[in-house]
Amino acid sequence: MTELNDIALVTQVAVFHNKRAFDQLVRKYQSPVRRFFLNQTLGDEQLSDDLAQETFIKAYVNITKFRGLSSFSTWLMRIAYNVFYDNVRAKKQTEDIDSFAAMRQTSSTGDSNLKMDIYAALDLLKPDERTCITLQLIDGYPIEQISKITGIPDNTVKSHLRRGKEKMTIYLKENGYDR
Amino acid sequence: MTDKEKIKIDDFFEGRNDLAEIFKQAAQQQIEDNGFTERVMQNLPDTQTAMVRRLSRIWSMFCIIVAVGLFFAFGGWQVLKGLFFGGLRMLLGWLEVFAITAPTTEININLWVILLLAAFVLVVLPYQTYRKLSATL
Repeated sequence: MTELNDIALVTQVAVFHNKRAFDQLVRKYQSPVRRFFLNQTLGDEQLSDDLAQETFIKAYVNITKFRGLSSFSTWLMRIAYNVFYDNVRAKKQTEDIDSFAAMRQTSSTGDSNLKMDIYAALDLLKPDERTCITLQLIDGYPIEQISKITGIPDNTVKSHLRRGKEKMTIYLKENGYDR
Repeated sequence: MTDKEKIKIDDFFEGRNDLAEIFKQAAQQQIEDNGFTERVMQNLPDTQTAMVRRLSRIWSMFCIIVAVGLFFAFGGWQVLKGLFFGGLRMLLGWLEVFAITAPTTEININLWVILLLAAFVLVVLPYQTYRKLSATL
């Protein structure tokens, strides 16, 4: 039902350039898209919002390219993923993103120590590993969907997940989370 | 990594309730819009079709302005006035003849039919014309 509704809204935007329909799509998906960027940037809200805005603008400009082969949310997350990696490549911000100290200053959501430790553990991962881990553990996507979003083969996604979890486990155990 | 180690890692992630809770909370976290959608909508670029539509509208307006200018420049108003008053005179003449000859005719005249016809001419036709013009502009 939700997918049908999405397709109806996308059709309105693509055929009639109905901005109200696009407004509804933005309102519906702003939270998961911004949350995705928050996780990738380890809590940099300003950067996350800028990237999320760029994602929606790209979706609007290229909406006629949406063929409905996957759900609209998967298509949108694929754009978000590309926007994030374009940004990383263009501005060489990997160091900034990996700077956990910067995240501590900008994040207003990571109040608990445990949450900060999770961010710190995520900070140890390579960008692809972090993307796979957050898409699975936070956004709840199955491996096939993660593969569609990132364009990474299923087996590589599994490897990223395994390696990512391994790194996080080691870090968290070293920080007193061992049972 | 051996299977045993893999099982330990999976156990670690799935067995720790506080970690599971953190990821669950993160998954349920809804980010408030706080004007984000408005900012996106304000920054949407014009698509190619929207630009074509806008140019088409500007061209239509330009043509209308030129047409109105030429209409007045070449005395179109006088022609229109002549047509209007000529038509009015004809109509009044016809009504006068009708009023004089109506009592003498044997044709049965239904007042309601005349009123309906008048309403059609005076209300429906101008309204339809107005709607078509609005849609075009």
